[in-house]
Amino acid sequence: MATSPSPFLDPGTHSAPNSLGILQLKRDHLIPTVLSPSTNSDYAEGKVENTRFGSYPHSTLLNQPWGTQILASVVDTGSRGAKSKKRKREVDEEGQRTLTHETDETSGDLVKAATASSGFAHLIPPSPETWTLCLPHRTQVVYTPDYSYILQRLKVRPGDHIIEAGAGSGSFTHAAVRAVFSGYLEEATTTNGVEHPGGEHGDVAAKKRKKRHGQVYSFEFHEKRANQLQNEIGEHGLDRLVTITNRDVYQDGFCIPSDSEMEPAPDADAIFLDLPAPWLALKHLTRSPPSSAALKSVASVSDPSTPAAIDSTSTPQLYIPLKPFRSPLNPKSAIRICTFSPCIEQVTKTVSALRSLGWLEIDMVEILSKRLEVRRERIGLQEEGLRGANPSAATVKEAVQRLRDVEDRAKIFHGLQKEKQEKIMRRAEAKKRGEKVVQSKEDKTGADGDGKKRVEGLPPSKHDRLEQVKKDLATRELFKEGRLIHRTEPELKTHTSYLVFAVLPREWSRDDEEKAKLNAMGWRVAIFELYAHKQKSIPFSENISSGKKELE
Amino acid sequence: MHSHIRPHTHVVLRLPSGILKVLEIKPNTNINIGKFGTFPANLLLGRPYYLTFEILDKEDGRSKTELRVVPAAELHAEALGSDHVTPAESREETVEGGVEFDIVRDDGEVIMRSNRLTLDDPSRQTLSMEEIEELKKAGTTSGKEIIEKIMASHLAIDEKTSFSLAKYTLRKSRKYLKRFTVLPLDIGMLTEFITEREAYKIMELREESLGLISSWANIHCGSASRVLTARDGVSQIGGGRWLVVDDTGGLVVAALAEKMGILYPNKDEDQPSGEVSPVSEATLSNGPKQQDATLNGGEKARAAETSQGLPQNGLDIEMADADVPASAPQEAQSSDPTSDPANSQSANDPPSTSPSKEPANSKTPSLPRKPPRPHIPQSAFPTNTLTIIHTNSQPNLSLLKYFSFDPGAPTPSHPLYHHLKSVSWLQLLHPSEDPSYIEPEPLSEEVLASLKSSKRGNYYRKRRRWERTSRVVDETRRGGFDGLVVASVMDPATILKALVPLVRGAGRVVVYNPNAEPLVELCDFYSKERRTAYISRQTAHLGKGTGLGIKSENGGNGEDDVEDADDFPVNPTLLLAPTLQTARARHWQVLPGRTHPMMTSRGGAEGYLFTATRVLPAEGKVEARGHGRGKKRKVAVGPDTAVSV
Repeated sequence: MATSPSPFLDPGTHSAPNSLGILQLKRDHLIPTVLSPSTNSDYAEGKVENTRFGSYPHSTLLNQPWGTQILASVVDTGSRGAKSKKRKREVDEEGQRTLTHETDETSGDLVKAATASSGFAHLIPPSPETWTLCLPHRTQVVYTPDYSYILQRLKVRPGDHIIEAGAGSGSFTHAAVRAVFSGYLEEATTTNGVEHPGGEHGDVAAKKRKKRHGQVYSFEFHEKRANQLQNEIGEHGLDRLVTITNRDVYQDGFCIPSDSEMEPAPDADAIFLDLPAPWLALKHLTRSPPSSAALKSVASVSDPSTPAAIDSTSTPQLYIPLKPFRSPLNPKSAIRICTFSPCIEQVTKTVSALRSLGWLEIDMVEILSKRLEVRRERIGLQEEGLRGANPSAATVKEAVQRLRDVEDRAKIFHGLQKEKQEKIMRRAEAKKRGEKVVQSKEDKTGADGDGKKRVEGLPPSKHDRLEQVKKDLATRELFKEGRLIHRTEPELKTHTSYLVFAVLPREWSRDDEEKAKLNAMGWRVAIFELYAHKQKSIPFSENISSGKKELE
Repeated sequence: MHSHIRPHTHVVLRLPSGILKVLEIKPNTNINIGKFGTFPANLLLGRPYYLTFEILDKEDGRSKTELRVVPAAELHAEALGSDHVTPAESREETVEGGVEFDIVRDDGEVIMRSNRLTLDDPSRQTLSMEEIEELKKAGTTSGKEIIEKIMASHLAIDEKTSFSLAKYTLRKSRKYLKRFTVLPLDIGMLTEFITEREAYKIMELREESLGLISSWANIHCGSASRVLTARDGVSQIGGGRWLVVDDTGGLVVAALAEKMGILYPNKDEDQPSGEVSPVSEATLSNGPKQQDATLNGGEKARAAETSQGLPQNGLDIEMADADVPASAPQEAQSSDPTSDPANSQSANDPPSTSPSKEPANSKTPSLPRKPPRPHIPQSAFPTNTLTIIHTNSQPNLSLLKYFSFDPGAPTPSHPLYHHLKSVSWLQLLHPSEDPSYIEPEPLSEEVLASLKSSKRGNYYRKRRRWERTSRVVDETRRGGFDGLVVASVMDPATILKALVPLVRGAGRVVVYNPNAEPLVELCDFYSKERRTAYISRQTAHLGKGTGLGIKSENGGNGEDDVEDADDFPVNPTLLLAPTLQTARARHWQVLPGRTHPMMTSRGGAEGYLFTATRVLPAEGKVEARGHGRGKKRKVAVGPDTAVSV
């Protein structure tokens, strides 16, 4: 499994055993599951995902092209309990025999799942976005609108090294891996060895070793969470790209014992701090040991804070230099940082600390994102009795018509009432006179026929209208009726966190300046040669400058 | 990449007024930044980015113009100075730091003043316009003196509250300081720069939207991806290939390319520029090796040779095996015995596909001598590519010039040369009508030999163009792309109708538009209700045995049914979970005691994003399950049922 690429980065064409797949039931209802062909399960069909929208045995999910619509299967969820109970009892009696029993079962074929009459889901490969929607929450999650903007602003590119402190639930970790990913480390070194044999081998290899591969250095204070994340990362095939360290970064900083001298870790280009007190971690993110003045001002920042009282007492002790200073930052690039804090007080402290420590381009931003729902709003009298529509009059004309109808009906109704009244009166009088039922029957039928005739000219009754609406519904095309509208979805995140961005430029000393000046002198020479090689001006000239650097 | 300022790269200068200026750093020239001064470009070469420089010129008594790096502490002096509200502390700070800053007056006591005394009277500034002009002419040290004088001659400077004093100082320094900051021209800066001037040219894209686009489209570096084929054995599936429709002059392409590691010419600063960036090299090694696993006989030897001479500078113009890397894998895989129903096996089987398994025999023949570096033709890489679909005969990618890539005359050393492919709509939909897709008549060796050299050159050029076009067009038409990104002024439905079928299952579709309305309409075309109606109509048609066949792989668009084309401009069953969203960054001012959102910002288009996932609908009748409205039987996806929206 270690050799196959992560399903996050290169999922392949089909779902594969023992790798993560996601079952999408609704837009925000996704179920992550490691697909398993094993029969070692309570179900006859092997491992099964049971959902509100049906059961999906893994045998129906495996080796399917990604994105396939999967139909639910008929799974007997009832008999499972009995079976497991039985097994348990066997374990109690004699552990050995149950084991053999179970292996017997695994060698046996899985029951082929029968397709259910309804229910389906879609099988999709994992991505940081889908994972963010379905990961097991341990802490507040950094959602897509935030992390996409953070990674954009941090200018994280393939091959970069990024520090993430406060890994939390790991949503940012996954997004960061995707952003820095530029290949797997081991693979690259082995292929290099094979590819470049012979005399220049050593030379090439030395050159190749300098090639940086993207790497995420993740720090988590909470040991259990760190372990959990480590498991997840391993399960997702990302363990070669993410280094998780369980550590208190306020105290111990970000340096990692590196396995080789060639690659001092983390050698970071970008930093993301999702910590309660980022200003306490900043003193470890410098290029050279910070001056005491800067430290004091950073410390004074954290002083008035009540929650960080313990931390601030520990601050002074830190500066007994125990070991030689090593910077966790890449000396050759401008370091981009982002801190993620929900409260404005945290922001002001962070920003002051950043200023004291010489960070530039400080910018604080808040991301307001929303999702819009799109639907058709149907209004009109023809919607009477239908769901999801407003049955009031759509236009003034319709309203007037309805009023007229009501009036007409009322008129006729009153007319009928009157007639009826008169009829009753007449009948009563007739009774008085002693006439018999025969006439009344005639009268009745006559009246009925009369009534029907009248009704034809009459605007329809409510009952009739509802009937008519139902009849019309069969031929109506609701999907294109009504007015198309959009509005913010009911669930709205109005605040996630404040994002503080800053940049720490490369260190620039007097010596560097002198060197650069010398180089510039070299330019005068270079320019003449440049004209000789007009076409290839860019690569050629750069060759010279870098060549000069090496000479010096 | 942006470790230091290199010659012939574009940089951004931010002037004290906040204005951005984009220019190319040409060695041995002078850079003029208007009233702030002029300085030689060489003074910037080799220096790091993000530094703020102050121009010290002859007027300041120097023999020649020099640049002084303004330290961060000086830049933050104002904010830091007022940071420490208690006067004692602030004094201590200056003593300890040992730095004195001439802009900030050390007034010792900062007490909260009220604006009770503030008079709205311009006459309080005693210096007249002429006097200030004279001061400027006299050329005092980088404007600081002017500012000091102006401040000193303000009658009521002491009456100002500390906040208004800070504002006043800031305003004056913006006007008179001879400083500028050098910033790298990356996607963020370029977006900001264009937004200020001609936002319409980039469809008012903001950085927030760019971030969302690349996240939702799952853009990442695909150079290590495997080359995998679909069940038909020909079309490629995935491999880090994305389709783009870009009407932003190349900004979207650039933003995606940055995320894929193919935007900047050479990343490793210690590497001589002749070598291709590590990323593209990895890709390159991937393609040919793929062939190794499947090719046989003499083909194998040739392919092995290809995989040997890996590092490319692409400068040689040899064209012998021009189409090897692109077409060979396809040939190979179509004859691959494992590419039948059991293809899923071969795809997931590490030994046959993993690049780490390099056949040992391939290295032996090349041991003694270095084989010639084969020429890799333009747009020939199998993985980590962007395919741009364009409306005119050439794509408009003018903004790529800021990243040293000229689409008209691309340099082979730029990674985009191999990773960017372009196809016009005509070529995509009706390739036979495009002249460059029609094969030029091949000439025999004898005829060629008898031709004039210029004519022969012409012949080869035409052949090459045809080879490239047909290769790219065929690959594109076979589909299997990892995603589709659209930022176009065209009607999105017409684009999606043509391109969604080319996206692989579970690939992402992202459409950006500055306005909500076109996307709202698009969402409606993929609505649950419409999908339900589409499916029921489809089954009805099937019952009658006419048109509208269900093709799960390439999707029937109902093209043959005119009546349906109006109701169903796109096949609504091909996309899952269409979502419309927007994001906006709100910028804040963070100063001690004065933290609040910015008072003003840019209006204009909000910028919306339509995202969805391409799916392969199951064949036959599908019924949803869930909390239907009491009605048990419902055809396919009814409202409120599973897999909604």
